[in-house]
Formats: sequence, structure tokens, C-alpha cells
Amino acid sequence: MVLEIIRDVLAVSTVAAFLTLVLILCEGMISNYGPCEVTLNGSRKETVQGGKSLLLSLQEKKIFIPSACGGRGTCGVCKVKVLEGGGPLLPTETPLLTQREQQASVRLSCQVKVRGPLAIEIPEEFFRMHQYRARCSRIEDLTYDMKRFTFELTEPETISFTAGQYVQLRCPPYKGSREEVSRAYSIASDPLENRRIDLIIRRVPKGICTTWCFEYLREGDPVSFTGPFGDFYLRDTQTPKLFIAGGSGLAPFVSILWQMKHAADGRQTVFFFGGNRMEDLCLLDEMKAFEQALPNFRFVPVVAKPASESRWSGQTGLVTEAVQRSFERLDGWEGYLCGGPGMIEAAMRVLRQMGIPDEKIYYDKFA
Amino acid sequence: MKRSPSDIRLEKLLRSSKLAAGGFMGDDPRPPEEVIREDAACLERLGKTAAQIAERMRMLTEAASAALGSSVQLEGKFEVHCEEWKGGLICPWPHPGRFPKRLTVCRRLDTGREIVWSDLNIHLIEAHGFFEGKGASYRLEPEDLVRVLFD
Amino acid sequence: MNGLGAEIWQAVVVCFAAVFTNNILLTTFLGMCPFTSVSREVRTAAGLGGAVVFVMTFTCLLNWMAYHWILVPLGLEFFRFILFIIIIAAFVQVVEMILDRFSPRLYQNLGIFLPLITVNCAILGASLFMVIREYSLIVTIGYGFGSGLGWLLAILAMAGIRQRFSESRVPAGLQGPGITLIIAGLMALAFIGFTGVLS
Repeated sequence: MVLEIIRDVLAVSTVAAFLTLVLILCEGMISNYGPCEVTLNGSRKETVQGGKSLLLSLQEKKIFIPSACGGRGTCGVCKVKVLEGGGPLLPTETPLLTQREQQASVRLSCQVKVRGPLAIEIPEEFFRMHQYRARCSRIEDLTYDMKRFTFELTEPETISFTAGQYVQLRCPPYKGSREEVSRAYSIASDPLENRRIDLIIRRVPKGICTTWCFEYLREGDPVSFTGPFGDFYLRDTQTPKLFIAGGSGLAPFVSILWQMKHAADGRQTVFFFGGNRMEDLCLLDEMKAFEQALPNFRFVPVVAKPASESRWSGQTGLVTEAVQRSFERLDGWEGYLCGGPGMIEAAMRVLRQMGIPDEKIYYDKFA
Repeated sequence: MKRSPSDIRLEKLLRSSKLAAGGFMGDDPRPPEEVIREDAACLERLGKTAAQIAERMRMLTEAASAALGSSVQLEGKFEVHCEEWKGGLICPWPHPGRFPKRLTVCRRLDTGREIVWSDLNIHLIEAHGFFEGKGASYRLEPEDLVRVLFD
Repeated sequence: MNGLGAEIWQAVVVCFAAVFTNNILLTTFLGMCPFTSVSREVRTAAGLGGAVVFVMTFTCLLNWMAYHWILVPLGLEFFRFILFIIIIAAFVQVVEMILDRFSPRLYQNLGIFLPLITVNCAILGASLFMVIREYSLIVTIGYGFGSGLGWLLAILAMAGIRQRFSESRVPAGLQGPGITLIIAGLMALAFIGFTGVLS
């Protein structure tokens, strides 16, 4: 009787133990991809633990591929070229890749799982990108809904960026936002001042990150960001340049103007800055200083609807109308745009009409 | 009742604040399917479809967007203006969908009623019949929408 | 040889019956939970159905072997509930890992449904029925496959119908699960109409 009970218990336990063993073996043999070597741009080699997405694996190696949706496969920002070992294109990727990208073996790094040796190609600038810790040292009101934030770097202590690039600011969880998110903001400071960066941020009603910056971030608080990103920078050509910005689109141009000032840039440059009302304009004094330092630079603020009693004597109407009023044609110019998508679209249309070809019009991609 | 893994994932994302401050559900305890179903029933009572509403919203947004931020009057009864920020809004449903960060403020000249929507709102209504959960920052009540857009 | 041929024929008959007249979903109402909740779109329904066919066929086979080769000789038939559940769970886990490793594409389409199936009562039900009805090994394979196929057929039909009637007016109180159950009842009646087609 006792023996029988022992035998029965043993039998069932053996079966369960056997199944557990099978599972453990499977886990070890099938799900264990082991260390995988990722070759970047044919030269740099990184060894990562297989089984995770390429995006996360690279992040662990401090290579930050920009991504807006955080690995969900919906934003299509984290594209990289996978030359070898990426496996078949997944149904989650196809809608986000053009025919040409698919042929050029471009993949979404958040969807590609590291299963073995990989060879990938990413823009060189991604290597320059780092994660920075900083301290918010100054918060300054520019307009009723725009502020300038100064971040003093703590670790690493210096940053090298090209004027016009942006960073992804990390917004920690706070009341009303339970998770960490990151949002892109253009750097608005002198690129030679490599111990700090300025960001100009315009408040988005009920926006996650701007609400945090405006209501929770205090002078002295620690912040962290990754960057720099972006290919919006001043082209090194002799042609005259036209800048158009609206709202916080001003930010990258501040940085670009610092760069021009240091280089004693003599190229003809006109900067149209549009706001709805007079209260939307800011940094007018700094712009005046740039005008004095750069003999061929002109700053043109444009107010769409100046209040009737105000003493506004400058340009009025839409920023695009002001451009049309100021120039007959713009053949041979380069256009630089920064602002909301509607403004960029409208400005593109006008510049095209006035003789600037599309490939000579540059704008911030993250907009 | 058991729900499909994609529904559960979607609800998790809608409730998280990864894509929009406070998420898309507000303090609404109902699952998103139910929110959508009840709003659809409400629309049916009002005699409008989500497609009609979305079309009207898009028309107003496009008209206002051309004015680059200054307000325009339309049809003698609307005053609309758009505000834009850099960056985009991402649709939480599992398909590629990134919309400009643009708000349209629409005010009725006769009644003074005002509603505000984003480009993502238009897409959510048109493609998913989703007006967001009660208490969400950008929840649009179907009744308010119909009253402002059509009356 | 004759015996094997007869058994295969019996397997075919049982398989056919499991698809139509004895449809596990529509006659025993097992697996109703995912049936009502994952039947809004034909595409996801097909994915789930495909996973059920696969898992049901193989778990029936594995459970038959475990039952007849381990439990019966030891006289431990009463342990079958626990054992069947463990085997189903382990099997699904292993399949998930294999799919993820060797067929990422299939994993994308079927993989997400596998964990959902582990706890599906229809899977356990099929294994228990095969014991009660004393099927042989070959007939069990036919039965498992047929039951899965029947489940797939039913959920596909339901998804098709629900996609259609998303356009139509359903009384407020009946929306969602309510109307789904009514339709399931009507479908069950229709499927019972197949009785006697193959005998």
C-alpha cells in the first residue's frame, strides 16, 4: 500500500520533472542566442547578448538610434541598414518602409531581433551621440508661452554638436505621466560653449514633456538627454541664405547665428521670424546684436495681427507674405525652415515659386 | 471575458502616458472597445457618422491651417485657428500613423461654444471611432462635436 | 493491414464528425471565451484558429500517449486532469520558443495567440473526450485535428458574420457578447443539420 503510494507519486513527479527538464533544455538551447557580434559600418565590432531587439542591444552599447515610439514599430524613425543576418522582413515593418528602402535592406531596428552575427550600417553621427547628465541652471521667460532652459553638463562635461542639431530630452515620470518619455528639442546655444546647452521650449497645452518643463522642472534640478541628432545645419556654400522660423523654430537659428558670428560669416543672410501677435516675438535684442556683429545679416520680425493700439512698425501678415513682399525672386538662394509642419509646407510652396529648388530647401526632419 | 492579446496590448498603451500626457483613457474604467461602442451608439442617436464628423473637422483644420496661426471665419458661423508645435503625435493603434502636433480651436460665433482638437483626434475618430476615454485631456464628447459642427 | 485501413477510415469519419456534426465549439460550447472576444476580425480569428488546430492536434496525440502508456499501466487515470494540463502548458511553451527561433514570420502571425490557447478549455476538453470515447492513437490524431479545424471554421464564420453586422443596427442591450451568443446558437443549429451526412 505504502509502496504503491510512493510509486504513484514518483510516477507523476517524474513526468512533471521530465517536462520541466525539457523546458529548461529548450530554454537553454533554443532561446539562448548566446553572445552575438554586431559589425557596425564594416569596422567597429560590438558583442551583445542575443535575443533582444537591435535597438535595445545597441542602446546597451551606448549607441543611441533615434526612436519616437519607443520600440513599438509605429514611428518608423529607428531605421538602420542591416546588411547581414537580419532575417526576413517582418509584416510589422513593411508598411513603414518604401520599396526603395526594402531593396536597400533598410530595417526597423526595434523589430529586428539579434539572433546571430549581424552586419549593419548606421550614420557616423550616431557614434558621436551620447547620453548626458546635466543640471538645469537657469530658466528664463521669453514670451508668455516660451521659456529658455540652460543645462550645465555634469557628465560628460562637454558636448560637441553642430549648430542646428537637436537633443532628446528625457522627461521623468511625474503626476499625470507615469512613464519616462523623451522629446526632441533643438539646441539654441553657442556651439563653442561646450559645457552647457540652451533649449527654447514652447508650451504645448497638456503636452507631456513641456508640462513637466514648465511646471515641475526647477533651477538646480538634474536632467538627462541624448544627442546630438539631426542633419539640419548651415551648408558650406557661398550662396545667400534665407531663414524662416515660427514660434520655437527660432532655436536652431540662434545656434547657427552664433556659429556664423564666430566665423565672421560674410554671406548674405536674411532671417524672417513670424509670430501671431507682438507677444509671440522674443530675443529681439539678441538678434539686434547679431545684426551688428554680422554686416550682411538682417533680421525681419513679422507679426500676423498686431493689436491696433500697439506701436508695431515692422512687417505684418503671414511670414510667407513678408518674404514675398521683400523679394522678387530668390534664384540662387538657399532656404532654411524651422517650425510647425503647416508653416514648413506653406514656406516650401512660396520658396519653390520664387525659384529655390526643393533640394536647396532644408528643414528640421523631426518637425 | 477573455480578450485578444492585441486588445489587451492596445488598452495598456492607451492607458499609459507614453504617447500623450495622462494617456488616452483618462479615468475611464471601461475597456476601449466599450468606449467606442457607447460613443457609436450615441452618434447613432444623433444621426451622424464618425466619418461625417471627421470630414467636417478635417475641412475646418485645413482651412485654418492655411492661415498659419491667425484665425479665419468660415461659413459665417465658425471662427477657427490652428496652433502648431514641432514634433508629432503617434496613433496608438498598431499601424503606421504619425500626425503633426497641431491643435485646431473652433469657436461658434453664434453660441460661443468652443472645441479644440488635434490632427490625431480626427484620425482616431475617422479610423477607429475613438473619441478617447472620459477624463482624458483630449476627450471629445460626440454630442458637443455634433452641436458645434452641424447645428 | 485491414485493421489499419479500417482505423484510418474511422479516423477520417471521426475527423469529419468533429468538424461538422460534433463541432466542439458549437455542440459542447467549449472555448467560448476567445470565441466571443477574438472574433471581431477575420484576420485575427484565422490566426487564433490556426494556432488552435496545431495545438489541439499535437496535445491530443501527446496526451493519448501519456494516458495510455503511463497512467493506464500504473492505474493512475484519475491524474489525467493534472497531467494533461501540464503537458499542454509545456508543449505550448516549447512551440513558442521554436517558432520564435526558427520562423520569426510565423511567430509574428501565430505566436501571440499561443499563450492564450494554453488555458483554453477546448484544448483540455478535446483530450478528455478522446479518453472518454476510447479512441485509438490514429483515431485520436483525426479527432484532434478535426476538432481544431471545426473550431477554426466556427470562429472564422463568426468573425465573417460579425464583420458584416458591424454595419447593422443591433439593439443596445444585445450589442457585443449578447448577439454573439445568439448567432452561435443559430450556427450550432445549422451545424447539427450535418448529422447523418457521413455514416
